[in-house]
Amino acid sequence: MTEQVENVNVKDQIREFVREAAQRKGVSEVTDDQSLVESGVIDSLGIFRLVAFLEESFRVRIGDEEIVGENFESIAGIERFVLNKLNR
Amino acid sequence: MAYVLQQLLSASAKRYPEKPVVCARGKALTYRELDEHSNQLAQLLLARGLKKGDRVGLYFPKSVESLAAMFGVLKAGGVYVPLDPQAPAERIGYIIGNCQIKVLITTGDRLHALDSAALRSLEFSILLGAAGNGSFERDLPWAALSEYPSTELAVQNVTTDLAYILYTSGSTGRPKGVMLTHQNALTFVQWCADTFRVTAEDNLSNHAPLHFDLSVFDVYNSVEAGATLHMVTDDLALFPASLANFIRDRQISIWYSVPSALVLLLLHGNLRAENLPRLRIVLFAGEVFAMKYLRQLAELLPQVELYNLYGPTETNVCTYHRVDRDRLHGMTSLPIGQACANTEVFAVDENDQIVAAGSGKEGELHVRGPAVTPGYWADAEKTNKACLPNRFQPHFEEKMYRTGDIVTLSADGDYYYVGRRDSMVKSRGYRIELGEIEAALLSHPGVREAAALAIPDEEVGSRLKAIVAPHSAGTLSAKELQQHCATRIPKYMIPEQIELRDTLPKTSTGKVDRIQLSRTQPQPV
Repeated sequence: MTEQVENVNVKDQIREFVREAAQRKGVSEVTDDQSLVESGVIDSLGIFRLVAFLEESFRVRIGDEEIVGENFESIAGIERFVLNKLNR
Repeated sequence: MAYVLQQLLSASAKRYPEKPVVCARGKALTYRELDEHSNQLAQLLLARGLKKGDRVGLYFPKSVESLAAMFGVLKAGGVYVPLDPQAPAERIGYIIGNCQIKVLITTGDRLHALDSAALRSLEFSILLGAAGNGSFERDLPWAALSEYPSTELAVQNVTTDLAYILYTSGSTGRPKGVMLTHQNALTFVQWCADTFRVTAEDNLSNHAPLHFDLSVFDVYNSVEAGATLHMVTDDLALFPASLANFIRDRQISIWYSVPSALVLLLLHGNLRAENLPRLRIVLFAGEVFAMKYLRQLAELLPQVELYNLYGPTETNVCTYHRVDRDRLHGMTSLPIGQACANTEVFAVDENDQIVAAGSGKEGELHVRGPAVTPGYWADAEKTNKACLPNRFQPHFEEKMYRTGDIVTLSADGDYYYVGRRDSMVKSRGYRIELGEIEAALLSHPGVREAAALAIPDEEVGSRLKAIVAPHSAGTLSAKELQQHCATRIPKYMIPEQIELRDTLPKTSTGKVDRIQLSRTQPQPV
């Protein structure tokens, strides 16, 4: 039960951060599976802001080699990546 | 000797028909295929009525088809206009109307996001990928190319015809189209071919977007040499570790990008010289490379020749400096160097005198020669301000280009960049007129005054900030203004930070005092 609550929380926080970033770039809608790269939501500065946010919010350490497209392609992808780290 | 760009492809296609010319997104084209596809596109365009000098917009994410489109348009005698695939529809609509684009090569979703009023000049579109619902009857799928003959067309152009138009930020709120001729491009390509000794064994990267003039080297010098071009798509460009692997796996031998991309690679890419045995040249341009990072890069890649290239879109690269590792340690700033072959540069001081070497005087850099643009599309006023009669050369009429860049000239003949005469800034290599950002902010009905500032930053050149005074307090939020900007200017021009104030400081002439505003900003660490 507690783990499920935590998962919901992770996704909500990521979603909120990404949507906020998207709005500032004029992208009003971001679905969980939408590509953040293609839609221009994340740029080369934004990616490191996002990494800093994830490290701080979820107390995880993200190595440079983990900052790759597979882990940051979408809100759902980022969530999978973070949960994976938390559960390790 | 090639006198138009498409001849570079015809020559290499004869020599290296089965060699790959371009790879992107898991697709590759050989020289023969690129030659044939571009012939087919040219035949299609001519069959559908394209005339010499007509503009064709390229509005899609870069891919192997980008090269077929560029060469196809040139072979048909047309002028291509690469459009930022990420730019807001409103801005693209303006450009289409401004240079009267007749044919648009794009994707279905991009076409439908454009306002129909903006498409009045358009005769038809060629759609890549899924056409999407409701494509117009007059539009064609890219696959229609296959119905046209792939036979070569006779060259109809001369070297002073336009080849492409690159739109760049304009100080009065609208982008301006820099016209470039075949001769402009070839002057640069020829110099690069000689200086960097590009060969058919080379693998070149293409990091810059195609609407950015750094890509002219990548594309045309690859094709000139019979080399292979490896495009860096957005899914790679954003992730330094992936990009470092790309350089290793594609065995890139010549890399060209803005310094900020190299800084990201340096800080987060885990670059190792032993993984990059083929890398022999790294070129950078577009903004100042912070010395601290340049020194790190020079140490990390001891076998690689490093070059600082300098030049505005209006001249492409006009000066260059090869980094000398022995001198690097004692240097406080890197010179932009000396003029490229077939180009002359000189600095003109405030008394209208040419700055002498070693005088320590500052002057505005001017450029003359075949690399210089004929001007801005449909904008005689801006053209006349930037492309002036060369009063330093009395024997015949010619133009020189005023760069707006203030420089000094050292005793050993190297130019050093000092700053700008106006309010153009660079961020991640993008050329940005602060006036265009201010115009976007002021177009919001709630904004009374706005000033855009560039905060210097070692990693990205500068970060953008705006100070805005609303008509009535408490009615505006930073986020709302950023969203508004996003409908008018590209994402890289949107201020990261917007501060709301009651009023902005003014100069004695009543203008917003940018200097006073900049002075009150926190200094970068």
